Amino acid sequence: MDSEVDKPSHLSVILDLSPTQWYLSARATNPYPLTIGSFLSQLLAFLNAHIGTKNENTLAVFGAFPGKSVMLYTSTEALVDEPPPLDANSYPPFRMVDTTVTRQILRELDAIEPGDEPPCALVGALTKALCYINRITLPSTSSTNVAEGSTHLPDPRILILSVSPDLSSSYIPIMNAIFSAQKLKVTIDVCKIYGADTVFLQQAAHLTNGSYIYLERRDALLQYLIMSFLPPPLVRKVLTVPRQDKIDFRAACFCHKNIVDVGFVCSVCLSIFCQPVPVCSTCRTKFPIKALQRLKSACPSPAPAPPRPLANLNNAVPRTTEATNHSTPGLR
Amino acid sequence: MDVDSDSDISVFGDEDPRVKGKGKGKASEKPKKGKVKRKAKEQAYTWEASYTRSWDTVQEDETGSLQGAVEDLMARDRRRRLLAPAAAIRRTIIRHLVLILDLSNSMMDRDFRPTRFDLTLRYAREFVTEWFDQNPLGQIGVVGMRSGLGERIGEMSGNPQDVLRSLSDRAKLEPTGEPSLKNAIEMARGSMSHLPTQSSREILIVFGSLTTCDPGNIHETLEVCTKSRIRISVVALAAEMKICRELSDKTGGKFGVAMNEGHFKDLLFELVPPPAQHATIRNAGSGSGLPPADLMMMGFPTRLPDTSPPSLCACHSDLKSEGFLCPRCMAKVCDVPTDCDICGLMIVSSPHLARSYHHLFPVKPYEAVASLDYTSQSTSACHACARPFPAAHLSGVVTEGLSPLGRYRCPDCHHDFCTECDVFVHDVVHCCPGCGK
Repeated sequence: MDSEVDKPSHLSVILDLSPTQWYLSARATNPYPLTIGSFLSQLLAFLNAHIGTKNENTLAVFGAFPGKSVMLYTSTEALVDEPPPLDANSYPPFRMVDTTVTRQILRELDAIEPGDEPPCALVGALTKALCYINRITLPSTSSTNVAEGSTHLPDPRILILSVSPDLSSSYIPIMNAIFSAQKLKVTIDVCKIYGADTVFLQQAAHLTNGSYIYLERRDALLQYLIMSFLPPPLVRKVLTVPRQDKIDFRAACFCHKNIVDVGFVCSVCLSIFCQPVPVCSTCRTKFPIKALQRLKSACPSPAPAPPRPLANLNNAVPRTTEATNHSTPGLR
Repeated sequence: MDVDSDSDISVFGDEDPRVKGKGKGKASEKPKKGKVKRKAKEQAYTWEASYTRSWDTVQEDETGSLQGAVEDLMARDRRRRLLAPAAAIRRTIIRHLVLILDLSNSMMDRDFRPTRFDLTLRYAREFVTEWFDQNPLGQIGVVGMRSGLGERIGEMSGNPQDVLRSLSDRAKLEPTGEPSLKNAIEMARGSMSHLPTQSSREILIVFGSLTTCDPGNIHETLEVCTKSRIRISVVALAAEMKICRELSDKTGGKFGVAMNEGHFKDLLFELVPPPAQHATIRNAGSGSGLPPADLMMMGFPTRLPDTSPPSLCACHSDLKSEGFLCPRCMAKVCDVPTDCDICGLMIVSSPHLARSYHHLFPVKPYEAVASLDYTSQSTSACHACARPFPAAHLSGVVTEGLSPLGRYRCPDCHHDFCTECDVFVHDVVHCCPGCGK
């Protein structure tokens, strides 16, 4: 047990840096307003704590900016050209992290042009973090077998600090990222700092055995970070870190966006409908009339469910589907 | 498959494996050998090449290091895999597969290390894991051929753990006697006869023997299989047999003879991605005339939290607190996806459906970058993992889709990616880090 706990761990932090959401979060009308400045100072303290816990610990920081994702810091190579001047009063690795992260964030925020803000590129940052973890877990000469490589570096994990709401168009990419995280044995932790719960990230944390924490007292951010997200997953088994219990695994139908308990699924493109339909609206496949009659007789009279608060699957499948190319011939 | 050209030799040389087993064993001890050999233009069976001088194909670079040569070989290998599927095709998402394993005496041959049997078991387990990962809604059953009988080893199940458990006990599967193709196929067919039309019915045979002892005419079996649209794929370990070739050709499956350990694995894993549905094959083979598209009724269960009061589950009668409730009959099952044990409703959770979406919406293949001249703003590091690109040596042409600069560019977002990320993005993540979709 000791030897396992003593191993170094890797942490990739994804910062959601949407200017609008941070502005909203800092308003004084909130119960616990949190400005981006105080967020950053608490975050840097947390990052320093991670580096300080163990000399071999590695760290990477990714930023999700509107329409763009950027790697802000890695401990494996220098991203800024000139290293910060040495200061006798600070530990050089801490100073390196602090200056690099703040400088990069400032640079990116300055580059944002005023105008309509595109949604935050959380997916880009997440996939970049996965690619980075894939790269450091696999030695450069190793095989393509992912499972073998993951033994080199125990406990890689991703921490997402989220302020933006779910983006329904990113459902499929996020699910893909979750499945690849499962494959790489990466734990995804989520800390929701501002805004309503995000269903996608709840599922991400649940499916990768991470913890999802909704921040109730935003002024206590650092405490939450240190208590729940600093220990690596192996240690957490002992610590009983709070975990999310109720996760919505039900699906919304594509036709009326209702949540359904029992749905009808197209066998070609897996679109979900709340009632038997003659033609799939996504891939234009026609269904045999016999099956329709059979299903209709089996169908419980559908009581219209209240619309789902966060439309989960609604726009998840793009309408321009490639599945149509070979529509079924011989079908009238 | 360029296996075909070689395969006729082996019909006459089928005694060779036992004779030359020793020599070949020594040669194959080099771990890299499998890969290097596949590179060679004329491919030979393991037993034919008594000593392959695999080190001859690897050239040292100026500094005397082998690093560059090895990386080059591997990078090319990876690129080739990526180049194949680009067009949008309709695939079978709901699959049913019966894995037929040869458990006859001939599986004890040592031409694959340690024995054909052990290697087959190992690869079968890896195959099952990978298969369920890519086909979360599929089901696998396992049938063994030994002592002239078909033997049910694992029931058709959608739970990878069940299937792996049936393959885990080596002692129970000890090879003996003669194999019987007809018996095994009939048994597999029987377990798939009740399946709905929209799901695929597949049989994968790992065949190590060169004979089959059947109680009747196997061509009748083949005809029935063609009629009920069962796709039979065969991976032969010894040599090509006419009947095996016919089985797979007539049913639209794949046939391959494994030449060495690496090739065996390749042949198996080729069958992991969902097969494309070809209109021609479907029309030719559709005896019933039913179209394979259908609406399926599925239930989305409620997940009980770990803190709920414990109760008995319907599937194992175990006392548990966590579980899933069938939305129709409210029975509690341990794991999804499954068919409800009480009312037979198919129970899935939305992540299971989402897991299949990447087959339907694949990432566009990246283009290999040949030179840097027209990219003024090109970055010096991989867009995804920030690995710096090797210093540009501008004397390159794109060979076999391999960029001389180690850069691959997304056609949509025009970002450059390194070789490793290129493979990782297309094989695992299925989402371009640049475009975010």
